[in-house]
Amino acid sequence: MSAAASSVLRTTLATLLSHYRRHPGQLLMLLLGLWVASALWSGVQAINASARESYDRAEALFSADLDRIERRDGAPLTLEDYLALRRAGLPISPIIEGELSLSSGKSDGESLTLIGIEPLSLPGSAPLAQQDGDADSLRNWLVPPYRVRVAPDTLEQARTLDDLPPLEIASDLPPATLVTDIAVAARLLNMDRGITRLVIAPKYDVELPSAFIRTSTEALASPGQLADSFHLNLTAMGLLALVVGLFIVHAALGLALEQRLGLLRTLRALGVPARTLILALGLELLLMGLIGALLGIVSGVILAQLLLPDVAATLDSLYDTTVSGTLNLPWYYWLGGVAITLGGLFSAGASMLWRASRINVLGLGQAQVWRARLRGQLRLQLLFGGILLAGAVFLWWYLASAGGQQDLALGFTLVALLLLGAALCLPPLLAGLLGLLARYLPRRAALLQWSVADLQLQLPQLSLAMMALLLALSANLGVGSMVGGFRLTFLDWLDQRLLADLYVRPAAEQYDDLEAWLNERSEVATLLPARSTEAELIKDGSNAGSVALFGIAPKPILRNSWPLLDTKDSHEAAWQALTTGSAFINEQLARRQGLEPGDSVQLQGPSGMTTLSVAAIYPDYGNPRGEIVLPVSRLAREFQAPPGTLGVVLAPTKDRQQTLTRLQEALNKRFRLTGENASGASLIDQQALKQVATEVFERTFAITRALNALTLGVAGLALLTTLLAQAGARRAQLAPLWAIGVSRSRLVMLQIGQLVMACLGTALLAIPLGLLLTGTLVAVINVAAFGWRLPLHIFPGQLAMTVALAVVVAVLAALIPAWRLRRVPPRQLLQEFAAA
Amino acid sequence: MKRLLAIALLFLVILVFGWQLWPEEPTTPTSYAGLGESTDEFRQAQPGTVLRFPEDHGPHPDYRIEWWYLTANLAAKDGRHFGAQWTLFRQAMAPSDPQPGANETPWASRQLWMAHAALSTPEDHRFSERFARGGVGQAGVKTKPFDAWIDNWSLKTVDDKSGFERLVVTAGGEDFGYRLNLDAQGPLVRHGEQGFSQKSADGQGSMYYSQPFFQVSGEVWVDGEPITVTGRAWLDREWSSQLLGPTQSGWDWFSLHLDSGAKLMAFRLRGGGETGKEESYLSGSWITPKGEIMPLKPNELSLEPREYQSVVGREVPTRWRIQVPDHDLDVEVRARHSNQWMNTSFPYWEGMVEVSGSNDGEGYLEMTGYADE
Repeated sequence: MSAAASSVLRTTLATLLSHYRRHPGQLLMLLLGLWVASALWSGVQAINASARESYDRAEALFSADLDRIERRDGAPLTLEDYLALRRAGLPISPIIEGELSLSSGKSDGESLTLIGIEPLSLPGSAPLAQQDGDADSLRNWLVPPYRVRVAPDTLEQARTLDDLPPLEIASDLPPATLVTDIAVAARLLNMDRGITRLVIAPKYDVELPSAFIRTSTEALASPGQLADSFHLNLTAMGLLALVVGLFIVHAALGLALEQRLGLLRTLRALGVPARTLILALGLELLLMGLIGALLGIVSGVILAQLLLPDVAATLDSLYDTTVSGTLNLPWYYWLGGVAITLGGLFSAGASMLWRASRINVLGLGQAQVWRARLRGQLRLQLLFGGILLAGAVFLWWYLASAGGQQDLALGFTLVALLLLGAALCLPPLLAGLLGLLARYLPRRAALLQWSVADLQLQLPQLSLAMMALLLALSANLGVGSMVGGFRLTFLDWLDQRLLADLYVRPAAEQYDDLEAWLNERSEVATLLPARSTEAELIKDGSNAGSVALFGIAPKPILRNSWPLLDTKDSHEAAWQALTTGSAFINEQLARRQGLEPGDSVQLQGPSGMTTLSVAAIYPDYGNPRGEIVLPVSRLAREFQAPPGTLGVVLAPTKDRQQTLTRLQEALNKRFRLTGENASGASLIDQQALKQVATEVFERTFAITRALNALTLGVAGLALLTTLLAQAGARRAQLAPLWAIGVSRSRLVMLQIGQLVMACLGTALLAIPLGLLLTGTLVAVINVAAFGWRLPLHIFPGQLAMTVALAVVVAVLAALIPAWRLRRVPPRQLLQEFAAA
Repeated sequence: MKRLLAIALLFLVILVFGWQLWPEEPTTPTSYAGLGESTDEFRQAQPGTVLRFPEDHGPHPDYRIEWWYLTANLAAKDGRHFGAQWTLFRQAMAPSDPQPGANETPWASRQLWMAHAALSTPEDHRFSERFARGGVGQAGVKTKPFDAWIDNWSLKTVDDKSGFERLVVTAGGEDFGYRLNLDAQGPLVRHGEQGFSQKSADGQGSMYYSQPFFQVSGEVWVDGEPITVTGRAWLDREWSSQLLGPTQSGWDWFSLHLDSGAKLMAFRLRGGGETGKEESYLSGSWITPKGEIMPLKPNELSLEPREYQSVVGREVPTRWRIQVPDHDLDVEVRARHSNQWMNTSFPYWEGMVEVSGSNDGEGYLEMTGYADE
């Protein structure tokens, strides 16, 4: 580029930017749009990236890809078990694991997981192979004072613990985890000859003594996989926020261009080449984009830091995965944030650049030159929107006919098509609605006629903000209905499944005594024993992975309450079939394996191959795995399931709580069941169990709701900024009305009325869209993400709330411009009238 | 002397784990894998130490390193040759056990165990490796009755006695296994000065005795197929706290059964002296058919590589000339095949050899320290 050309470019750029000096509000709005778009997006991405990093560390942990071996009778493993198996030639390794509470003055139960490993027998002890450069050694590991390895983000907490061997940094360890030699762990956790678990590399296909049972690592899905759906959910919400934010940017850019059309023409007329002009506009975009992205990413990280504790708590309770409470952001995160913001900005600014490049130098005076093509534009939007919606319909049909395991990404594509298609159709639909309204309004209501016509005129400017509002409203409605429906179903289901008043898990050796003792008690109405174990599912002659077996006692109280989704004949027949050799399977297993009542499943258990006929399918919300229900006696006999829990149903009594407390005390006294003792025995109150389950549930959706509310806020902001941006121009149109005698307060009311009308129309469209979205979430996304389908619940109250919310947003957004209008002196209105 | 290998093996276990076992700064010139470093806190092997049996069949935890090392030359009925190796290594990681009463669990132990098992067939070579810590009972050695074990591998008496008269050895890997009965046909022999075997001109050495007179019968498994075998075996016992001179780099070690009934143990430690460039240190034992032992001084013995072969990228001597003029021995020792590489944590060559010349026979050869090219 020659010196002259670059000087022209500089001058042009300065001239273009000077516009913002006169209209700082527009600059603010543009940056605001970029800021919210990229803040929400990068906040969500920061959470995802940070969690992903934690999972990677957890998956890299030695024990993550190893099969587990446990005693079939459920008794805790001991050093003797380890020796017996080693001396039988099995290449197993012992692990001692437990929690060390951070007792330093805090009582909130925060703890670190201490893992003791035996490096000599541990297959592929990768984390130990890490070379730190200093003089670490196997000897240091194995002999006093020993070593403890810890990730940098857990170092601070580890330092508060007394009695720990010297700490070593190992950055690839999961958060809140300490790894040390088994000798140290046994001492710190008071295990002596106890072992938490035995592991074996999956490649060893060895025969186990019958007293032991092996659980394949594939059965224990990796934390990352389990939580994938959760993160995809977050990503989708972030994407929605990004799109809504970009609507604001688009509106701001359109306005800035429109107001600078004269300036651009002047520049062109003065001899600035079109290419230089576009280049200058592009540079302006880049500048704005970089500032916006920077602001956005910084506040995104702050947002993520605020949300992360909640996310970590959710993931912990949902999937039992530990996510670091501090953000760990890889370099590509920062780059990605800038790229997505700039990409979004250029996609929003592309039309501005295109329009600017086609400016007619002679078009002076025709201020809003493209408005003439409004009709064509609306038709085009309708066409594109229709194509997207048709795509959504096709995808729905495809997903419905594909059945079985569904693709989560396709599910979200369906949601995206649905939302974007509907958003594109919104302006033409609103225009059509207004056209109809204008036709049927009484002729004499001139002011009303005018306001409808005027609204039609405003539509091009308002439409983007309305689209954003539509997306936010329908997402709000969809997610709200889904969460509400989930809560209803889930709590119901909890009530049905948690029948007993008390759940007792005795140690293996005290099981029979305890059962007999409980049977003697007069306050106990029924005992509901349950056991669980594992078996291999055989499909078409080959192993299709392991499946959980759950044994229940089909007593009348359970039969009457246990929910079934689908049975071959009647419910009674299904229960009858269960006691005579059939099985129930959960919805997850049915969907994954394409099973229906009447089909059969083949299982490889400890006593050989068993074929079971499926009598019914039951809902099993929140369980990531496939499960088969059998009578508990059969599970104990044929699958050698260890003793599990005893559900205690109390006889009807006047004071349930008192009876319960007394029974608990008696149990504690006689069998020492206080809390979790060393033998793993425990006592759980049903109400406590329900409370935990409900808490888990509430946390699951806390983040979704938070992001949802933020999205709605962004949409309101979009509307407000649009109105503010064109307030000046609007006054010029209102001035004639004032001049012919309409009072200012009347004008204010008219304005608010117009906006409420537009928002109401949008809200009315958002309702069917929101319901469609709920349907998609419930029938496609949930099934793909969790393996179960929720019944579709519609909450009329929520629909009304959505409409009301739209009106509130409209009034709020209209209030500031209206208030300004009220305060404009008549003299100024006169001037503007003269100018118009 | 192969036994030097053991220490190096242990060190290399550590290297494989990524640890640097001894944190001390090495002195110059550096001995191989730090094997020549001084180890003041451990007991030292010394001339004049009196060996006592059966106690000395058991472990000596105050010495740093120790092994029970068995090699067997076997033949099937159809004349095919097989070779078996069974080795249990012990290493003390600290000079003393954790303080008694220091609230330690069974897992706390300063003893580290490692074992190698190998089976050479006429065509190939199969091996396996095991590790264990002491203390818990996963590996160890008892004397009454004698039992040396790690996991499901063991070398123990068949008749509940404490000596080495009748033993049975079992081991196996994924594609091989063996169970061999060992019947001693002669006495134990003490190498060097009544069991003190010098390992370099500087004077350091080890306690070293052998039972070279085992007659073997049993079964080997190749890919699950059982083959009945008979043959001869040699058991070495050695312990020390510092075996190598500071600059010695590797060794070649022979245990030969001669058809005359005599046995020969001979080794060559390569390198040594101030710079590591000096002549190799030679030593050996001539064992008569009755079990009388005659130590061989460096000038009474000659070991000469005659042919090198490329084995997994290293040039390794697989044909040797051995001369012991005082006993009219001048033989060629040749590997039955070159592919008897132990690709364990620390790789080395260990395999069956045949002897021809002034006296025919068979035996085992171990070679370490041949660098990867």
